[in-house]
Amino acid sequence: MTLEILGISVLWIFLFGYVIVASIDFGAGFFNAYSLLIGKNHILTNIIKRYLSPVWEVTNVFLVFFFVGIVGFFPQTAFYYGTILLVPVSISLVLLAIRGSYYAFESYGTRGHIGYTLTYGVAGLLIPASLSVVFAIAGGGYVDVIDGQPVLNYWTLYTSPFAWSIVVLSIAAVLYISAVFLTWYAHKANDIEATKLMRKYALVWAAPLMISALGIMYEMKSINSESYSHMVNLWWMFAISAVLFIVTVVLIAMRKKYGLAVGLLIAQFAVAFFAYGIAQYPYLLYPYLTIYDSFTSTQMAIALVIAFILGLCLLLPSLYLLMKLFLFNKKYVTGKEDNHA
Amino acid sequence: MINESAVYWSRALTELTLSFHIIYATIGVGVPLMIMIAQWTGYKKNDEHYILMARRWARGFVITVAVGVVTGTAIGLQLSLLWPNFMQLAGQTIALPLFMETFAFFFEAIFLGIYLYTWDRFDSQKKHMLLLIPVAVGASMSAVFITIVNAFMNAPRGFDIVDGELVNIQPFLAMFNPAMPTKVAHVLVTAYMTSAFVLAAIAGFRMLKGSKHVYHKKSLLLLMKIGLIFSIAAAVIGDFSGKYLAEYQPEKLAAAEWHFETEGKASLVLFGVLDGEEVKYAIKIPYALSILAHFNPNAEVIGLDQFEEEDLPPLYIHYLFDIMVSIGMFMMLVSLLYVVGKARGWQFIHSRWYRWIIVAGGPLSIIAIEAGWWLAEVGRQPWILYGLMRTPEGATTSDHVDLMLLLFAGVYAVLAVGSIVVLVRMFKNNPIEREIEDRHSEKGGDIL
Amino acid sequence: MQSFLIFYAPFIVVILGILCAFWWAPRDYHITKEQEKSRE
Repeated sequence: MTLEILGISVLWIFLFGYVIVASIDFGAGFFNAYSLLIGKNHILTNIIKRYLSPVWEVTNVFLVFFFVGIVGFFPQTAFYYGTILLVPVSISLVLLAIRGSYYAFESYGTRGHIGYTLTYGVAGLLIPASLSVVFAIAGGGYVDVIDGQPVLNYWTLYTSPFAWSIVVLSIAAVLYISAVFLTWYAHKANDIEATKLMRKYALVWAAPLMISALGIMYEMKSINSESYSHMVNLWWMFAISAVLFIVTVVLIAMRKKYGLAVGLLIAQFAVAFFAYGIAQYPYLLYPYLTIYDSFTSTQMAIALVIAFILGLCLLLPSLYLLMKLFLFNKKYVTGKEDNHA
Repeated sequence: MINESAVYWSRALTELTLSFHIIYATIGVGVPLMIMIAQWTGYKKNDEHYILMARRWARGFVITVAVGVVTGTAIGLQLSLLWPNFMQLAGQTIALPLFMETFAFFFEAIFLGIYLYTWDRFDSQKKHMLLLIPVAVGASMSAVFITIVNAFMNAPRGFDIVDGELVNIQPFLAMFNPAMPTKVAHVLVTAYMTSAFVLAAIAGFRMLKGSKHVYHKKSLLLLMKIGLIFSIAAAVIGDFSGKYLAEYQPEKLAAAEWHFETEGKASLVLFGVLDGEEVKYAIKIPYALSILAHFNPNAEVIGLDQFEEEDLPPLYIHYLFDIMVSIGMFMMLVSLLYVVGKARGWQFIHSRWYRWIIVAGGPLSIIAIEAGWWLAEVGRQPWILYGLMRTPEGATTSDHVDLMLLLFAGVYAVLAVGSIVVLVRMFKNNPIEREIEDRHSEKGGDIL
Repeated sequence: MQSFLIFYAPFIVVILGILCAFWWAPRDYHITKEQEKSRE
């Protein structure tokens, strides 16, 4: 367990945390906007509002952890990714800015301005799409180095089926994860109508998720045969993930044990996400950057790991407190107690 | 390989993002302490008005935190996007405080969420107030850590360079660099001072609009006292920063003071206009610069003549220095007169014109913060990492930065207008008189 | 002396400022006095 592997796995866990928490946040925002469009917003809005209000700031911080962390552990990534990602990441930042400000302005200020809710919902889908492009770029084949400076050729990226299948997967995953979670959350708040509606969305988005996931594996072959061969001999991890997926869908379909379904969902994505990560080993940016040649000095790595562990000892209890007081607190979830500031 | 236009636009975009972010970040660091002092006073004196102050300030605070989070994420990413070469080097030496700043903010965000949503859930005010401690500590610590990174840029320490390679890296030495104490302390006290005067401006405006409620009198006195304490602290720490600069970054002090020749018994140049190398219409205080720099009137202060032309920061930073210091002194005087006037019963502090000055104090303090940060950043030029990397070398080589500048300028405009509209609406729809009635009807108790 | 001023004094000033703010905040005697007068 070298420091490099410890560093990249810690960061990968944070990125996974972001994928899950952000999916729920973005998906909830999209469903809220979608239900407004089709006139069913009375069903979903208060559930989604009650879930989102104390939690939305936390989502953003996972992302900041990841990119500050990766610059700390692998400083070379700042040079490579910084230079090539200017446009895609700036676009994601603008979308994040719109969403982040919307939430505070909406819940504390203006009431239900429809235009803003729609942009909020749509941005909720565009952000994962624009951020997932980075996964495609990391896969390799879109960046070439011209006299020492990495250059991203947009044309090949935007016309590559592999990149598009990753974007489709990210959108399907966001909607599927949030639908399953909100089905369970609405169930806990014994809001029958919202549970029924969210369950329907969950089932609708289950199939596209699987199709786009298979699409990626197929496309990967032509883009990056090395990672593809890694993925093939990790087939058993993807099999486990598929089994977990099927059990979740069955549970949702039979309206039983939604809580377990959410647990299995997170396990399914964890297994698939880590399998994908291991398949990329040792490349951070295929073929230019590996985790070994871009790793920081051992003194800095040790300092970062210590700071990280101390930080977690501070954060996990406080996150638990947040969850206990709100998400899993019987009274809060059912709306009996809303001592809003 | 330097792409001239990318360098120019990268500097412009970074300056725009930082100038916009600093307003919300300063309020984000200062207001939690104001909320805590108000709630503590309310708890100690069992005075419902102070508790209401904490609650109302917290409500407005959420809006500024939202924009602060968003623009903070923007500058966090832009550091790598616009300055990849710099971040590659900084990543190896100063990544630790960047990493810890995220923890500090995460800690603050969680407890702020809990604090806002458990107002009357606890039986005693005390428990609820305890939730504020991690918010205030988290807010101040995130300022401490990010200022450490800025201080490192001004005084890089904790590593050696052997034929182009960074070796023997000590992360903690890099954090505790010479520039850190004065910069961090100055950032903290000016954040508290600015937040006090911004909130005081709101109270003053409410009084001008005719509200006679004692709530505003209490909040104004409280804020003026806090503003006074921290404006004095800011001046004292400013003096320490002068001593730091004289010893570690003499050209920055010399440029800020228009101190051309190295000489003893140096006089301090206040205001004035630069015409070539000749300073006109300035007030010169003899010995003052030597005292500021070395605490002894005839100590020698290094002048601009000691440095080559291309190593000097632009000389206009003297104007920024004057703006910052005059506003700081002015606000100290305004708050001093108010507090003493209150004790001695002077009537002029209740006059309309004095209240207009208090209202002006809010925006003025923010201008002083902007001037201070421009002075700090432009004063470090031509270096991005003092003595090691010039700004053009750190910048990205990818083009389209100008396009991104337009994109972000639009976003910041939307955020600025949005936050102002929401805050003004929140301020208008909820005067204190109405909120006290709501509290009474809610609790059925009789207060006052 | 110079290095003390640059390295340690700033933090002392910050902490003193915060403590002083907490100590001085509740002393709003002048306002409550004014209020009694105005109520009579």
